[in-house]
Amino acid sequence: MRVTVTVNGEERIADDVWEGESLLYVLRERLGLPGAKNACEQGECGSCTVYLDGVPVCACLVAAGQAESRTVVTVEGLASDEGLHPVQQAFVECGAVQCGFCTPGLIVQTHALLAASEGVPSDLEIREALAGNLCRCTGYEKILDAVRQAAGRADG
Amino acid sequence: MTTVEQRTGLVGQGVDRVDGPLKVTGAARYPNDFSYPDLAYAALVRSTVAAGRISRLDTAAALASPGVLAVITHQNAPRLERAPDSGLTAPPPPLQDDRITFHGQYVAVVVADSAEEATAAARRVEAEYEPAEPILDMGDPRAEWITDPWGTDSSRGDLKGALASAEVRFEATYTTAANSNSPMGLFSTVAVWDGDDLTIHDSTQWPSYLRKAIAQVFSLPEGNVRVLCPYVGGAFGAGLRAWPHIMLAALAARTVGRPVKLVLTRPEMFTGVGHRTASEQCVKLGATRDGRLVALAHESTTPLQIEGTQFEPCTAGSASAYACPNVITRDRQVRLNIPWCNFMRAPGEAQGNFALESAMDELAYELGMDPLELRLRNYSEDNPRLELPWSSKSLRECYEVGAERFGWSRRSPEPGSMRDGDSLIGYGVAGVSFFWYQEPCEARATLRKDGTAVVRSAVTDIGTGTYTVMTQLSAECLGLDMAHVTFELGDSDLPAGAAAGGSGLTAAVGSAVQAACRNLVRAFLDTVRDDPTSPLQGCTIDEVSVGGGRIHRIDAPESGEAYADILAAHGIGELSADGSSTPNDPKVAGMAPSGAFAARFVEVRVDPDLGLMQVARVVSVVDAGRILNEKTATSQIMGGTVGGIGMAMLEEIVTDPGTGRVANATFGDYLIPVNADIPDMEVAFVGRPDRFNSVGVKGVGEIGLVGIGAAIANAVHHATGRRVRSLPITIEQLF
Repeated sequence: MRVTVTVNGEERIADDVWEGESLLYVLRERLGLPGAKNACEQGECGSCTVYLDGVPVCACLVAAGQAESRTVVTVEGLASDEGLHPVQQAFVECGAVQCGFCTPGLIVQTHALLAASEGVPSDLEIREALAGNLCRCTGYEKILDAVRQAAGRADG
Repeated sequence: MTTVEQRTGLVGQGVDRVDGPLKVTGAARYPNDFSYPDLAYAALVRSTVAAGRISRLDTAAALASPGVLAVITHQNAPRLERAPDSGLTAPPPPLQDDRITFHGQYVAVVVADSAEEATAAARRVEAEYEPAEPILDMGDPRAEWITDPWGTDSSRGDLKGALASAEVRFEATYTTAANSNSPMGLFSTVAVWDGDDLTIHDSTQWPSYLRKAIAQVFSLPEGNVRVLCPYVGGAFGAGLRAWPHIMLAALAARTVGRPVKLVLTRPEMFTGVGHRTASEQCVKLGATRDGRLVALAHESTTPLQIEGTQFEPCTAGSASAYACPNVITRDRQVRLNIPWCNFMRAPGEAQGNFALESAMDELAYELGMDPLELRLRNYSEDNPRLELPWSSKSLRECYEVGAERFGWSRRSPEPGSMRDGDSLIGYGVAGVSFFWYQEPCEARATLRKDGTAVVRSAVTDIGTGTYTVMTQLSAECLGLDMAHVTFELGDSDLPAGAAAGGSGLTAAVGSAVQAACRNLVRAFLDTVRDDPTSPLQGCTIDEVSVGGGRIHRIDAPESGEAYADILAAHGIGELSADGSSTPNDPKVAGMAPSGAFAARFVEVRVDPDLGLMQVARVVSVVDAGRILNEKTATSQIMGGTVGGIGMAMLEEIVTDPGTGRVANATFGDYLIPVNADIPDMEVAFVGRPDRFNSVGVKGVGEIGLVGIGAAIANAVHHATGRRVRSLPITIEQLF
């Protein structure tokens, strides 16, 4: 089947997509966007988190057909011509990145948390929001620092 | 003696990761991010018995499936050679016969136009087996035992006599579960043939060895093979072997005449790329009433894949951890029909330290002594096994600084005596004396006419920070801004690199980088040796220093010349120099090489009514010699700490006792720490540059994980009065 989807502001078409393929597979293998990572393929780790119509989802759990005529934003779509998004900058500055494999999912999830937060999120809210994102390198603490910083908290 | 090059400046500063921007934008390319025109995909079929033979293999249905290009089994696979030993036996080449030695062994690989088609067809391969009774338990009388597998057993003094006459004796058995490396990045191989040339993208920690291994398996000249791994999604030791799936990807690509991508599934990560062995350990201690160790025996038994090898001495560290005159350490392995055992962050040390440091805590209670005091009373000022002074050791300072920061003096000795509301509070401590390891390594430094430098070595950065710290070090050695230096790695065509393992890479590649940079400065001096217009004419390397993109005379810093000017003046496009490092010899150096040391202080909180246990605080004080980058080093310790919490409280590979199947091979079933499990963590570094290598470093990659298990178990005992001698510590063990 053909899937037409707007990715990072650009209409993209993937042909010969098998009905069982995930959005993640189409992004990575057919549209040349390997930023979202494949680490568990069953929604346990959050490494493949992307926006689907403004909602963060695990792209491995979304059938490609479900994305038809919808809007996807991946980690590749967050930086602007002026440079890194503040969330990305905070991850670099706080040392929240090690091997980097979980990073794209965490960046999108953090981006979504801060976009949806009315005030400044507490540690508990941050940990809850990132509960579905596994990391095996950093021990999470520097990630929390990065989110605090990106949220503009004084202790960030 | 090796001179430590300790300068102030770039090195040491917590500068941001140079690879950070690429990683936060999704632009860093991991092995399975690579794509090629006409790429095909491979999927694996694994055995469903742990021992026996394949009696029937029917691939017709799979071959007839949509998009399928080939199905390779032992019936049609070409003969492959065995990979060379890397100091350890390589896994045998796959699909060479019908024998099965573990549940999950590859019996076929299916290649198709898409990954989904390959996966679907793999399910249609019909395999039947003539099963044998697998050996799955260390108590099985059929199991083969190996004593002193690596010649690391040690003995000094008269252990028996000392134990018999000791005023206080203690003995206990400790066990640890098998753990899975489970890096986030699924191990992946993309294989691309061009005639007899083979390019491999792979999740390896050791491209120089992997190239050699692939070349030998496929009977190719080494120069025909190129291994690329600029980014690896974690590995923790899993990338140190030339695994069979790598060979299958290359074989599949050769068979179908197209590039092939093979990405392991998460369940395949549990059987295909090794795991930390379980262990069963006995510790016997003898001491005087005032807490001086007179006898220490540490014996360990660990499982081993039935045809495998693994270097995992759990007891070796105990021979030099404490000043004790009568010591025996012994390791044994037992061959089982389980997946390959392999290195996982702090192999041997993680298990061995849990037993020794738990036993020391138990002895302290027997003696009625503060556990911290017992450790200080038996401090080994020299290496007691080699009888040489340590190349550096600030473990005492680790204990002192850690106790102060943690507030150890607030501890009341009696178990169960500290509370906060409904929670029982427990304090625990453990000491760590990590092993030393280093391999030979090569590097090349090049200065270009625009004054920028590129330094290269075929090493890897598995998240540790190698790109960053080697950029810092190179910039310092050449007197350049970091922005003018690029460090390249992850390519087997670069100068041969050491493995990212054993916490030894930074010393190895750092020493090689220093040598290459020094030789490069020499090459510039050679260039101007006879140049009357150069202020550096006739200068030797010892008469000059570097800074601001130029070389200058030490005695007259204003007299110097920029690299770029020298190249321009002599019409040279660029200048390169090689450097290499080999590990020092303890006997020649007259000192015992030190690994890192650490003291770990842990507070746990246990709710006795609900059975909930939480690690509330961890204070880690580490002597890792010279710290090249405070930010990345701290991250290493924090990440290791959380790995240690996983080992202590969550992680256990469950193997079905009847079939040998790994029963919890997903992130839903094999639990690793998540955000909510994270305590308040504090990390501090103490100590001086180490004297055993010219960089002055002691690796920080693994020590962060060690000692956490014992410190948590000791804290649990302090909180509850319950001694848990088995990891992971689960609710059922507590109540």
